Amino acid sequence: QLDRGCALHTAARGGLSSVSTQDVPAERPRAVFHTSESDPAKHTEQHEGRLYNIPLEEVKAVFPHGLPYRFQQQIQTFNEARVMVRRPALELLAYLKGSNLAHPAVRYVIYGERGTGKTMTLCHVVHYCSRQGWLVLHIPDAHLWVKNCKELLQSSYNKHRLDQPLQASVWLKNFKTSNERFLQEIKTQKKYMWGKRESTEEGRPLGEVVEQGLARVRSASDAVGVVLREVKQQSHRGSFRLLVAVDGVNALWGQTTLRKEDKSPVSPEELTLVHNLRKMVRNDWSGGAIVTTLSQTGSLFKPSSAYTPHELLGKEGFDALDPFVPIPVANYSPREFESCYGYYLERKWLQHEKARTEDGKAELQFLSGSNPRQLDRLAGPL
Amino acid sequence: MAAPSAAGLGRRLRAWLPRIMPVRWSRYNPSYLEPEVKKESYQKPLEELTEEEREQVELKAVRPIRAAPPTLSSSVFSDPMISKFTNMMMKSGNKVLARSLMSQTLEAIKRKQLEKYHKAPENEKETIECNPYVIFHQALKNCQPIIGLSNITKGGKTYQVPIPLTDNRKRFLAMKWLITECRDNKHRRTMMPEKLSQELLLAFNNEGPVIKRKHVLHKMAEANRAYAHFRWW
Repeated sequence: QLDRGCALHTAARGGLSSVSTQDVPAERPRAVFHTSESDPAKHTEQHEGRLYNIPLEEVKAVFPHGLPYRFQQQIQTFNEARVMVRRPALELLAYLKGSNLAHPAVRYVIYGERGTGKTMTLCHVVHYCSRQGWLVLHIPDAHLWVKNCKELLQSSYNKHRLDQPLQASVWLKNFKTSNERFLQEIKTQKKYMWGKRESTEEGRPLGEVVEQGLARVRSASDAVGVVLREVKQQSHRGSFRLLVAVDGVNALWGQTTLRKEDKSPVSPEELTLVHNLRKMVRNDWSGGAIVTTLSQTGSLFKPSSAYTPHELLGKEGFDALDPFVPIPVANYSPREFESCYGYYLERKWLQHEKARTEDGKAELQFLSGSNPRQLDRLAGPL
Repeated sequence: MAAPSAAGLGRRLRAWLPRIMPVRWSRYNPSYLEPEVKKESYQKPLEELTEEEREQVELKAVRPIRAAPPTLSSSVFSDPMISKFTNMMMKSGNKVLARSLMSQTLEAIKRKQLEKYHKAPENEKETIECNPYVIFHQALKNCQPIIGLSNITKGGKTYQVPIPLTDNRKRFLAMKWLITECRDNKHRRTMMPEKLSQELLLAFNNEGPVIKRKHVLHKMAEANRAYAHFRWW
């Protein structure tokens, strides 16, 4: 039986002990829009609209990849990571808490217009699951796997498929950072041959497969496939719970901008990584959940006004993901806007003297339309 | 010139051209009034206005208004110096790009200063200025030269004569020097916001190549003091 404690790197556990889940006497008077509840499992409706803190060591352990770039810059400037608790995330957490893990995995699709906070909702859920001790398979952006690939190798496993060594090795490195302890505990169930001389025996820890993928970059995509397969087969036993978190899942069923050497276009199913991920997102396994996000921002050949699942996934993707639980994410409510505005003022991010006035606040609300991304971009130069 | 009669106003509004065409001219009939953008002037109730202001409001009800140019903004965050600097940075009319570069520059200055602020000990925190607008204005003020040089030809030879500069000319020179410095003397791969924020922070502390250029100009003017009487205006 695996230890059901926190699945965090041992270095982060030292930082965790200093963060208590009860109200800590703060050094500075806490404002209304902050909450000292840093465990997502305890977030309820009364925390809605408030910002909770994630300690920086935990951020490095849980999110080696996956946070949006602007949020990473914000963490560096403010020296803290504050995430807002919003209604879609609370809904998802309630579903996850009440889900029966003996049943096949339920698929959740987070959708919404551009810049409303889908990726941050996904990150909130990933944080909750890693605190609860789940094994988290977080693919930060599936669009990165279908475009701008410098090296495409023909796969040695299946002649008709193409490998992507660079993307696969980057993902394996980040997977290793976030799920250290599972790599020692999960054992392989089959013998895998990496080329003529190297092989991994049955019963070896999964960490060896990951090391193999990192050392021999040519077989990194196959290593990713092996990891996904092993994890999926063993999840129903109940020794660990699996979360598959994919950002930009509409990339798996769209088109790619990659071309083979004879300049013919590559379709997504010809890529090993995409093929294995599609198998992962099917609901033929039990013992976990699949949480995905649609994203128009990185998507290929989709109009910028498209945001609904049917438009972004297309017929093929919709049929593959059907049935799923749709979770819409909207712009900030007035309370959330107040909270975000107050946070920027408190952290001295809004420096313009007019930004503190009522006129400035009304102007910010009007210009951004309460859209989180627009507000962030507007507040940057101010 | 005589104002056109009220009856002829409608007929003569279109297709109006003055007899002499200056270089920078507008085709607007002079009866068109300037637009009023400030919110405060519309929030005053009718009773509080003086006689002239009441006449102005009644005139605006009958006269047509010119179109507002895109640079004219009613936003509380708009700043004329920043707009002027953005226009000078603009190339081939790409205002969108120039404005985004300007906002990225201000954000870069703010980030650098905030990082310094959060790392500094308590007693030094007040000395660190985090407001990018204050830094921008102070840096420009520090870069403005006090005295300039002009070429005056006397007796076949051209002399560099020290002359006083108007405020507009000083502001223009400061902005021009900053922009040319950022465009020319940087590594090929550095982005403009990064380089500009660096130069603005140096100029705020009275250091950097732009301040040096200003001092060189001052020294040349001091050296050519003898020719100052060549100026006749």
